[in-house]
Amino acid sequence: MFRLMRNVHLILGLLFFFYAMLFAASSLVIIYRPWLKPTHSEQEQTVRVAADRAQTPRDLALELIQNQGLKGDLRDIKQDGDAVRFVIARPGMRSEVKYSAATGEAKVRTRQEGFLETLVQLHTNHGFWHEFMPANGWSLLSLLGSVGLFLLGATGIYLWFYHHEERVIGFVILAVGLVYSLTTLVLSRIA
Amino acid sequence: MYEWMKKIHMYAGLLSFTAFAVWGATGIQAVFLPRPGEWQPPPISSQREFPFEGAGNLDDKKLAKAVFQAAALAMVGGYYNVHRDDAGNLAFLAYSANGQRELTYLEKERRVRVVFRDSGLGDFLSSMHAGHSRRGAPDWSSHLWGYYNEFSTWAFLFMVLSGIYMWVATRPGMRWALILCGATIAATALLWVTTR
Repeated sequence: MFRLMRNVHLILGLLFFFYAMLFAASSLVIIYRPWLKPTHSEQEQTVRVAADRAQTPRDLALELIQNQGLKGDLRDIKQDGDAVRFVIARPGMRSEVKYSAATGEAKVRTRQEGFLETLVQLHTNHGFWHEFMPANGWSLLSLLGSVGLFLLGATGIYLWFYHHEERVIGFVILAVGLVYSLTTLVLSRIA
Repeated sequence: MYEWMKKIHMYAGLLSFTAFAVWGATGIQAVFLPRPGEWQPPPISSQREFPFEGAGNLDDKKLAKAVFQAAALAMVGGYYNVHRDDAGNLAFLAYSANGQRELTYLEKERRVRVVFRDSGLGDFLSSMHAGHSRRGAPDWSSHLWGYYNEFSTWAFLFMVLSGIYMWVATRPGMRWALILCGATIAATALLWVTTR
């Protein structure tokens, strides 16, 4: 049984190693962001789009995705007179598009985040509703990793308990952690 | 070195157990969160009013601050969306880990109405999972949780790295582990490349 639990613990650890590193690193970026000063770059371009390819915001977005290299989910569609605005976004990159039917021009302002901020956006990426498939892939990794975290914890508890010489000190540490954390959580909840 | 790494790996996990459970629960719950633009606040759970009279020379921004301070809401870090409602009353929102609070200054009646929309346990844990030493409500329980959560983040990073160390130190030639590690690296790299 010990061998099985140890192997399961190792399998889960290896399966979710990168996911775990991503979440650990991105959490630290979130906490220490003012000191780290994540970088980004911005670029603007103007694209001429034929009227028949921009009859609806979705048509325009598809045109930009297929022929202008944009990638991501379509969001925040807003109509402003004869102008249409929307966002095409994916973790690490956000393109704001403003299209004028009168001129047939789409102004695209793209912000590309650096490595650290992209990690943060992958951290907050969730759900399986994305039209941008890789975002669903990251969400799946996130879900499996979250389940894996519980299983890692459960197998870890077993592995600890198997080490008889660590039981006493382990109980003390576990008790201290549980009392401290659950007390602060409960008090925060009932406040 | 190996024995000490194993001990500290174990102790870090035991101490951070609650944080890992909260993170795991938050990650699972995130699957079911509404997509952008579809979030609806929880229903009203309670409401209270208290007397308040703002100084006549305050602008809306300063008045909102005075109302917020007078309300002395628990587990609330700040307020936002200061605006006038349809009746012309100053209104704004305060966010708490326990749910949204809507404050309205009923100027003619010289009262403040606070509407509480308490969130479920899942949303509470999701809010708390993001707490750290520099973020969270000013309540001391939130601060203490934030320190614990931040410590657990470092502990988690250590455990990931020490876990790999312990594998390599004891069974580096294990074929299935090497294949699994390689497959994980390849899958993550593929996802990264297609995302960027």
